[in-house]
Amino acid sequence: MEEKVVMPDPIYSEPYDPTLAEKLYNPAKPMENRITDIGPPHYSQFLPPIIQKNYGKWKSHLILQAGVMKYTSETGDVVYVVRCGTPRLETTDYIREICEIADKYCDGYVRWTTRNNVEFHVTSEEKLKALMEDLKNRKHPNGSYKFPIGGTGAGVSNIVHTQGWIHCHTPATDASGVVKAVLDELFEYFGSQKLPAKTRLALACCLNMCGAVHCSDIAILGIHRKPPLIEDDRLEYVCEIPLVIASCPLGAIRPATVEVGGQKRKTVRINLERCMFCGNCYTMCPALPLSDGEGDGIAILVGGKISNRISPPKFSKLVIPYIPNEPPRWPTTVQWVKKILETYAKYAKKYERLGDWAERIGWERFFELCEIPFTDKCIDDYRLAYDTYRTSMHFKFTSHIEIK
Amino acid sequence: MEKEELKQKIIEVIEKKIKIAGKSKVYLKDLQKDIPGVSPRDIKNAANELVREGKLEYFSTGSTVMFGIPGVGMGLEAGTEKPKEE
Amino acid sequence: MSEIKKHDTPLVDQLKTGPWPSFVDDIYIYAEKYKKQTCFDIMGQLELSYKNKETHWKHGGIVGVFGYGGGVIGRYSDQQEQFPAVWAFHTVRVHQPGGKWYHTSYLKKLCDLWDHRGSGIVNFHGSTGDIILLGTVTEQLEYIFFDLTHQLKQDLGGSGSNLRTPSSCMGKSRCQWSCIDTMAIEYELSMEFQDEIHRPSFPYKFKIKVSGCPIDCVAAIARADLSIIGTWVDDIRIDQEAVRAYVGGELKPGGNSHSDRDWGPFDIKKEVIELCPTQCMYWDENEKKLYINNKECNRCMHCMAVMPEALWPGTDTGATILMGSKAPILEGAQLSSVIVPFMRMEPPYDELKEVTRKAWDFWMEVGKNRERLGELIQRIGLNRFITEVLGLPAVPQHIREPRSNPYVFWKEEEVPGGWTRDAAEFRKRHPA
Ligand code: HEM
Ligand code: SF4
Ligand code: SF4
Ligand code: SF4
Ligand code: SF4
Repeated sequence: MEEKVVMPDPIYSEPYDPTLAEKLYNPAKPMENRITDIGPPHYSQFLPPIIQKNYGKWKSHLILQAGVMKYTSETGDVVYVVRCGTPRLETTDYIREICEIADKYCDGYVRWTTRNNVEFHVTSEEKLKALMEDLKNRKHPNGSYKFPIGGTGAGVSNIVHTQGWIHCHTPATDASGVVKAVLDELFEYFGSQKLPAKTRLALACCLNMCGAVHCSDIAILGIHRKPPLIEDDRLEYVCEIPLVIASCPLGAIRPATVEVGGQKRKTVRINLERCMFCGNCYTMCPALPLSDGEGDGIAILVGGKISNRISPPKFSKLVIPYIPNEPPRWPTTVQWVKKILETYAKYAKKYERLGDWAERIGWERFFELCEIPFTDKCIDDYRLAYDTYRTSMHFKFTSHIEIK
Repeated sequence: MEKEELKQKIIEVIEKKIKIAGKSKVYLKDLQKDIPGVSPRDIKNAANELVREGKLEYFSTGSTVMFGIPGVGMGLEAGTEKPKEE
Repeated sequence: MSEIKKHDTPLVDQLKTGPWPSFVDDIYIYAEKYKKQTCFDIMGQLELSYKNKETHWKHGGIVGVFGYGGGVIGRYSDQQEQFPAVWAFHTVRVHQPGGKWYHTSYLKKLCDLWDHRGSGIVNFHGSTGDIILLGTVTEQLEYIFFDLTHQLKQDLGGSGSNLRTPSSCMGKSRCQWSCIDTMAIEYELSMEFQDEIHRPSFPYKFKIKVSGCPIDCVAAIARADLSIIGTWVDDIRIDQEAVRAYVGGELKPGGNSHSDRDWGPFDIKKEVIELCPTQCMYWDENEKKLYINNKECNRCMHCMAVMPEALWPGTDTGATILMGSKAPILEGAQLSSVIVPFMRMEPPYDELKEVTRKAWDFWMEVGKNRERLGELIQRIGLNRFITEVLGLPAVPQHIREPRSNPYVFWKEEEVPGGWTRDAAEFRKRHPA
């Protein structure tokens, strides 16, 4: 990038005009004044000048302490970065507070990471000190940190997660609440670097996995365990039956006609044995509700990774098939996550990711060390299940085998 | 096929589906099946143009999008009204 | 302003304490400050869910603003009487700027917009990458869009069977490992494919993610139908002086990534040489020199991550193009598979666009409803997808290992004489 610094478009400094849209948008002529297909604002205007100047010239990084990094450019320039966890679900006032900090220390520039952390950039050590001090002292009224510093190196980073009960119609658990409960308990691991390697946690509140948790070191997954309820008396009025039938990935739904109160009603029937509780049908049809306070809960999957470092990326594996929902603090889920994390921390070698450790010691040993009861639910019976069966003599005699 | 002809055809296909199958929302794939020999890209472009003209509307309840005729079948706020009682 | 109705939320309130930032405190303070009924009602509804462990949201069919088939998710409460302010609580997806870099002038204006036209609640960010504006009513959608485009020069992101909002790692803006200009690629593809982002085009969703190196910070290999990951073909750059500084203990391994536990003094043999998955490194104790047999390196990044002041990717760079990853629904989870082992990444990225369009055309033609590209590739076979659909040569980089079954679908033209045979001739040689 050239020497000339690109500044943010001046339009952003003009105050928001709450009346403008009403003047521009004419419901009778919806295309009038309509601007479309302009994409996102160009990123270059949002890069701090030091970043623009050193674009593509960065040479190395050094973590000064958990959450605080120093980047050095081949030009000799240095930038300090402070990484803070955020709850992801937040208000505009929280964003404004981030802006206030960025205005005060960072000339108004700020960025977020893919894992919902926010990063502040400064160019001098004095500013860094003042910034960190300031961040540490910002708390919500009931004592939680607004901007906990951490999320780097061999620690736990922020939890990638989904919408849960705050916004989605198919969740089997909440998202933000579970995340808060887990991170309260793992807080010290966010702000320190004492694990064998980076440990990435993720949560998705149903099998749709909007958070794509399937390649995480520890994944928390909401699951349903009851098939949809069929509201025969209402279904034909609120659902299009062909669409409902087509929505089931397993072809478990067929049309049916039943009598309700002496009247013939068009509805559907579900082959219960084929249902995997995914909720796709409910998405098409509000008369097939799925969630159930007793049936729903959480499954834990572990050992996935995305980075190609040392070993290739891999999927997380199901180790705890079900834990009931326990709002507001999900103690059983939290304890299992902590137990797995700390067992891994105790036994794994330096640089070894959770999945690599489990593979090295064998999954039978993993279950034993983590004291997770092994059940038939962990033996795959979906497609390509055979890939996971043991077809060798290479196994260990763990406590699971009774030698008589 | 000319664009206008294709657009006409798309409306016909959807109207027929409403009459025969009682299906008021169609996927792009359904249109493709019923209008053979036309590239999926052209069909997509024509259907999207029909939306701009107000002759079709989008409909979705989740991860995919369908096309329907405005005012026919499940409305955009379906299931949010009280169900009809008899 | 009409009377504000607050709800008792004893369960949700328990999430106010503890060290991790509390969204409950945040939302309540905001609600009190602006007297926002929507925020009180959303907390009230969440409390109800905490009580009976079930969601109280319905869905609606709204997908976008006029002419857009994506960018908005319709949502309605099933507790209209109790929580009327969240009866409609739609989501707006806003296409995040590259690398998620911002200037506060932009953010503050966006906040003003959302205070005025929505709940004031946001996600920074959605898992696909967008800024998520949570909670508005149908009547506001067009105005929000006009505000975004006119006052913030900002478009919506994708949803439904559209191209979803592409995303990238921060790449060259702050990372010394980025082999490609990730943010530039992401921006260029986003602009090239605006129509596909805003209007349904495909049998199902399609995601594009760009990572600058095999560390893959945006999870391109696990979460994108089209994964673009930076790589290099020449030698790893070595600063032997710095390597010696690591060995001598003057530099901290991993850029000090393991600072809070005593793992003992750095041992280059144990921590680098022996962990190199291809065993292509050699540390000469006498010479005090690190050797890498670069031809055998599989570019896993480990050595660079341990010695960030001494080793860097090569300078002859490009990307590996992979396709097909997705979460489990429907056919099970998939990681992306290598499609083009090496492609140069120079603007305007024509080769990348071409291979993308070829894959799309085929998928639009042959894909079934709600079949992701990865599932289609499995259905027809990776070999056919690569050779027949994309017209690329098959190479061993496409597979981890060759197949173990012999069920090859030979084609007639591949077998001398073809498949039509004369039974009489056959029987002359082999009397029945
Ligand atoms: C209808 C209720 C749903 C809601 C409220 C919802 C919400 C979301 C949100 C807010 C995001 C982040 C989007 C962004 O950053 O732009 C997302 C991403 C995603 N959605 Fe959904 N979603 C829903 C349905 C589905 C369905 C039905 C599926 C799959 C069949 C699905 C799979 C995904 C996946 C895999 C991602 C993550 C992609 C990535 O890793 O980048 N979602 N969802
Ligand atoms: S993971 Fe499932 S329940 Fe959670 S937001 Fe996505 S679709 Fe909704
Ligand atoms: S929950 Fe899923 S598997 Fe079960 S009937 Fe519905 S769509 Fe089919
Ligand atoms: S993916 Fe690689 S280049 Fe991109 S930010 Fe991560 S480490 Fe850096
Ligand atoms: S990048 Fe990985 S494979 Fe290559 S030399 Fe370094 S450790 Fe070995």
